[in-house]
Amino acid sequence: MKHYVGTSLILALAVVFTGCGKKESAPRSERDPAPVEASVQGQADDDATVLTIWWAQWDPAVGLQELGDDYEKKTGIKVEVRQIPWGKYQEQVFLEFGNKQTSFDIVVGDSQWLGKGATEGLYVDLTQWLPTVTDIDKIHPQARKYLCEYPAGSGKFFAAPCETDAIGFAYRKDWFEAEKEREAFKAKYDRELAVPETWDEFVQVAEFFTRPDEQRYGCVLLTGRSYDALVMGFQQVMWSFGGSWGDADTHQVDGHVNSSASAEALDFFKSLLEYTPQGGGNIDYDRILESYKDTQSAAMLMTYFAFFPAIEGSDVGANSGYFAMPSKDGKRGVSLGGQGFSISAKTSPQQQAVAKKFIAWFLERETQEKWITKPGGFTAHTDVLASEAFRSATRYNAAFADSLDDMQDFWNVPQYNELLSIAMSHLGAALDDDTVTAKQALDRIAEEHTEVLQDAGLL
Amino acid sequence: MATGQQSSDGLMKWGLVAPALLLLIGLNIFPLAYNIRLSFTKATLTQAPADHEAVGGRNYARIFKADESNRYAAALRTTARFVLMAVSIELLLGYLLALSLKPRFPGKSVVLLVFLIPMMLSPAVMALFWNLIYDEEFGVLNQALRFVGFASVPGWKTDTAVKFYTILMIDVWMWTPFMMLISMAALNAIPDYIYEAAEIDRARRWTVFRRITLPMSAPLLILAALLRTTDALKQFDYVMAITGPNDPATETLSTLMYQVMFRNFKVGLGSAYAIVVLVIVIAVATLFIRYLDRLREQEHAL
Repeated sequence: MKHYVGTSLILALAVVFTGCGKKESAPRSERDPAPVEASVQGQADDDATVLTIWWAQWDPAVGLQELGDDYEKKTGIKVEVRQIPWGKYQEQVFLEFGNKQTSFDIVVGDSQWLGKGATEGLYVDLTQWLPTVTDIDKIHPQARKYLCEYPAGSGKFFAAPCETDAIGFAYRKDWFEAEKEREAFKAKYDRELAVPETWDEFVQVAEFFTRPDEQRYGCVLLTGRSYDALVMGFQQVMWSFGGSWGDADTHQVDGHVNSSASAEALDFFKSLLEYTPQGGGNIDYDRILESYKDTQSAAMLMTYFAFFPAIEGSDVGANSGYFAMPSKDGKRGVSLGGQGFSISAKTSPQQQAVAKKFIAWFLERETQEKWITKPGGFTAHTDVLASEAFRSATRYNAAFADSLDDMQDFWNVPQYNELLSIAMSHLGAALDDDTVTAKQALDRIAEEHTEVLQDAGLL
Repeated sequence: MATGQQSSDGLMKWGLVAPALLLLIGLNIFPLAYNIRLSFTKATLTQAPADHEAVGGRNYARIFKADESNRYAAALRTTARFVLMAVSIELLLGYLLALSLKPRFPGKSVVLLVFLIPMMLSPAVMALFWNLIYDEEFGVLNQALRFVGFASVPGWKTDTAVKFYTILMIDVWMWTPFMMLISMAALNAIPDYIYEAAEIDRARRWTVFRRITLPMSAPLLILAALLRTTDALKQFDYVMAITGPNDPATETLSTLMYQVMFRNFKVGLGSAYAIVVLVIVIAVATLFIRYLDRLREQEHAL
């Protein structure tokens, strides 16, 4: 009998301890599980044969894997780009950072993650190293400021540019060029139908093409609520109207985000929903593409340039053109997108050294010239951006290159997600609920952002 | 004096109970105790346990703060409204369906099967399907409404006054069959001889329903309501698919907890949220169970 009792206890203990054991990271048989150090002194370990990069699941990650394959041929170091669905990406990366050691050596992270990565010791400080492998002045200043530095503009690097992205517009070139449409537009607005350069022109074009009876609409804008689409869509209008999220140096919010310019911008942004299909007040990144390329109902589409290869490959690709964000009184604001390479501080010094070698190779001009041939492979290298080879490589590259000077970013302090969530909530209420005025919504954002920033000791 | 046999029996009992006990401690009690500890800290998702900064009752003070910006209070109100409406409507519709399907008729099994299909499907997948159905311009629902002549169709996902009901309708569609199933089991458990006695007494149909059918099916209905209440309190899938987590009109406790824990990385505050939800669930379950016990006592007294 005692034999059975003993066996039961052993089995139970085995079940409990295997079930409750701490989550292990992915097998790293080819890695050196040496203790973690934030700074890297060592050189690449000759035995290190695999470099693991985590990125979101999309076309540019496929392009990076292709470059990684070239790198393997050259160095013998295998590069594995693990693609994680966008909806889970941030969550999985930061859950992984909760472990003592990460499964990845490099994470291609959002610009907003920089504050958290830098201040919580998750990212390796690249300040000393980056200028030794690339000419810092050849990184586009806005990409350098928002994609690589924390705090922005401080000269302290925690990332190197990987995919530099911005928001722009795709439009139905065939509709714009149709003789009948051009004549009707000229008769109505007394000017030629052309790609809008200002927000006032944008309204006219959007109004002109809005014909619900024909299932045609003027535009589709980023307004979705599942992550950050609404904030990314709205802030560009806010910046061009003279508003801002706050003072980047003092973190003062009140008087900035709820200024009259910001309120005017929100009212304007809401007014644009008249020219979208019904439900246009809540459209995310995936649905907005469908609206344009599958149902073919919108004249102009706002989204990141990295999604434009999907349009090129669709039925409307040949009939599409692209343009940069319109301006207001000469002022233009463009939401920054894309991600930078950050090296995990929770991987071995040997792996960190291998990661650095790969990044240095990626930043070489020759590699950048290959990178721009990949779908969504946008560069921050100023010489490559200015080259005719880049501008003419795709039909949207010129508009992309023209957008970079006006790129700005949302907060990238460690509390960015809380700030984002508050902004999403109140901007959404302003769009959906006619009893909530723009000023009321922005006042609430100012109040709650202030509270978060004060709580974090930033204000 | 304990004999060798008694000692062996004692060990046997412990041996049999030990696996379940260890699983309970490892999977329930330890995580709960750890969660309570976390709720008094400022822990974030990426911090090591040793770095968790204690903040006393600050997280709880934030939850109970009487403030317009208190999202937890707003989410609690939305969740309570959702639970109350969803469970009431599903219980009522389910019970009515069960009553109407009680008599035998040809094709009854097929009708039952069709009714039960929604509850057999995955809620997360159904939420995504409903998201397409509710698409305001190209979704099936609004296309159908336009086809039958409605000039203006609802803004299922963007109208503040409608969004909550959009999500409620999915829950009702999905879980009314569950209430129907339990109601049918409850109705079938009532012995026929009671109805025969009532027939001999020439009791009216309403009296039979009020005095026999309803009270005798009540215990199982209460149980069904309890199960659905605890389930509806966790509403997550439909809100995430239809409006996303940051919509004040539809934000529930679960979506708020997800936002706070996994997107804002505030594990300490999220843990405090979870503890308050746990207390609420225990309180609601206790109320239901006490009511159920009272019904049983009344039944025994008869």
